[in-house]
Amino acid sequence: MLRKSLDKKISRRKFLGTTAASGTALAAMGGGLSRVAFADSDTIKIGFLAPLTGPVSAWGKPGLDGCLIWADWVNAKGGVNVGGKSYNIEFVGYDNEYDAAKAKAGATKLIKEDGVKFIMMLGGDTWPGVEKIAEREGMLFSTLLPSDLSPDSTTLVAPCEVHPIYNVTGVEWLAENKPDLKTAVMCAQDDSLGKPSVATYLAAFEAAGIEMIDDPLFFDPTTTDFAPVMTKLLAGNPDILCLDTCYADYVHPLCEQAFQQGYKGQIISCTADFYQNIIEKTSAEFMEGFIFQFPDFDDPALNSEGVNFVNPNEFYTEYAKRYGASQWGAVSWEYASIMDLWADAASRAGSAEPAAVLEAMKAGGTGKHAFGTADWWGTELFGIDNALVGDWPVVVIEGGKATIKEFRSIPAWWDKHKDLMIKHMTALDQMWNQRG
Amino acid sequence: MDLLWQTAVNATYAASYMALIAVGLVMIFGVMGVINFAHGELYMLGAYCVVFLYAQETFPFLLAVAAGLVFVGFVGVIMERTMFRPLRDNPLGGLIASIGFLLILQTLAVFGFGRRMGHVPPSTQGKIEMFGAVLTYQRLFVVVAAILLLAALWVFLKRSKFGRALRACAQDAEAASLQGISMNQTARVAMFIGAALAGVAGALTAPLVSPTPYIGHSIIVTAFIIIIVGGVGSLEGAVIAAVIYAFVHTFVTTFFDGVIANIVGLALMLAVLVTRPTGLFGARERA
Repeated sequence: MLRKSLDKKISRRKFLGTTAASGTALAAMGGGLSRVAFADSDTIKIGFLAPLTGPVSAWGKPGLDGCLIWADWVNAKGGVNVGGKSYNIEFVGYDNEYDAAKAKAGATKLIKEDGVKFIMMLGGDTWPGVEKIAEREGMLFSTLLPSDLSPDSTTLVAPCEVHPIYNVTGVEWLAENKPDLKTAVMCAQDDSLGKPSVATYLAAFEAAGIEMIDDPLFFDPTTTDFAPVMTKLLAGNPDILCLDTCYADYVHPLCEQAFQQGYKGQIISCTADFYQNIIEKTSAEFMEGFIFQFPDFDDPALNSEGVNFVNPNEFYTEYAKRYGASQWGAVSWEYASIMDLWADAASRAGSAEPAAVLEAMKAGGTGKHAFGTADWWGTELFGIDNALVGDWPVVVIEGGKATIKEFRSIPAWWDKHKDLMIKHMTALDQMWNQRG
Repeated sequence: MDLLWQTAVNATYAASYMALIAVGLVMIFGVMGVINFAHGELYMLGAYCVVFLYAQETFPFLLAVAAGLVFVGFVGVIMERTMFRPLRDNPLGGLIASIGFLLILQTLAVFGFGRRMGHVPPSTQGKIEMFGAVLTYQRLFVVVAAILLLAALWVFLKRSKFGRALRACAQDAEAASLQGISMNQTARVAMFIGAALAGVAGALTAPLVSPTPYIGHSIIVTAFIIIIVGGVGSLEGAVIAAVIYAFVHTFVTTFFDGVIANIVGLALMLAVLVTRPTGLFGARERA
């Protein structure tokens, strides 16, 4: 009935053309939100180049929030001692929106304009945009995703999170504690975060004798309605529903759909950010026993002797005070723990220069990982020993609260099952020498 | 659980909210000739009305939805008065202005609610089970609301005097003006209806998705595919295309995977463009 407006106002051809052009323009729009820091000579600037907006922001913004606490605490104690002089630490944030081009622009700005000495990233899809800059400038970068590591990126380290390798600990714990569960299904978003995690879970399930009912289901990251995804997953009545490393924006509706479609089995996931909200959308009974990998830092188990993270319970309390306990997420502590390593290395090196810090960080082949002393590792999987790998916690929701059940050794699993991991990583083109 | 029935139920829900959004977009385009790129953000605005009124201020869910409908409708009226009317003689002007406006709406949402997804608890956890399929009340609300609203719109356009005026303006604004029909008034009403439909879709689905300031991006892409398949400018085409797209996408997702479903959805659009360049309903109506 309204079609004549086509003829009078704008032609169909023009509509299609302008729609396409505008879509392209929109995609290219936006840009990093930068916060310029004005620092004096007694301040060392650290770059924070991560998604602060968009669907992946849950793995960027809470990390920056945690870093601000870290900086306040360290600066209040006089700063970091480097070469006999104390320096305050200042973070310069840049929102890369999980986009490689914006990450490239951000890295250039942080290095050239802000003069940062170290840049922390989430990595993943954004690392390819930065890789050449890192190589050219010799800047020290960190990633939370060691699947970014390769022999070509000698100044990139993964000193905290060994995503997705630690997921094997959750599956191993599940198999030991719930041996009756024998079948699984899995879904993941189709991106560089989802695929290596799928390979890891496939290896871990195979090692544990758990059968995959169906191939992993990949969905487009723009998905908003997860009912069809869950319908397919539950069609085979699996014992275990694996949510891989889905973003928080997906884990919540996926859990809600599983609940609504009557699933009563076991759920395992890499993360369960803001899990209190999932409980509210489903029920405490439904979420009971949910296994994931990221503890709340008020957990008393983190006060054990081997844990290197400084004052974890106090850190959590301060975080909850500033931002709210419900805002605590997987990465809230991670970037701060990387800063512990960086500060320690800079002090030992007597310099904040990237090369010196990197050398000090890797000296002796071991490092003080947040969850205990760990080894610099990774040649077989990443082509370079730039991932700090040791123990990782297995976390289970009990009575509506995340609870650490056990710390498990990733290297111990690797020693027994590395062939499986390499097999599945290779099948999904996720080995370092397969990634484009 | 019966897989086929459950998939059909899932597709029916998807078709319902997609139809609301697409019909709103067509309404705006048909009467005013404006490609409203901010339509996805109007959906987002409706969702955030529920985040604010229902999740944060604990007003009843249906009241929050009604408020979302009215509020977003008035946002549409403001858009018409401040952007589209001054640019009426410039077909691309409205499009460019709507792109600017969507960025403003996104930024306002970030300022108001933060960057992370909004949390909306379900208004009910009740559900119906039929033929081995589950339909939650929350989803049923969307289906029922879409049927009622679209039926009411059809009656309004076909039977009411003002509806006929809207159709007249869409067919030939100049001739309609000569008959004493106010273009400004019809544009205002069309914009209110179009925006309100997007707003109510966002409000109704807010507990079922993860509302973020950026959710409009994926919504607008789907809406454009639907109106291109249905025939740009055709309300009936938008509804039929929403049903076709939702069923194709949902069934392919369930029986293959979501990535292939997106490819099939785009292939469907390309096939329609190649075989019937004016869309499924555009050609028939033109004849």
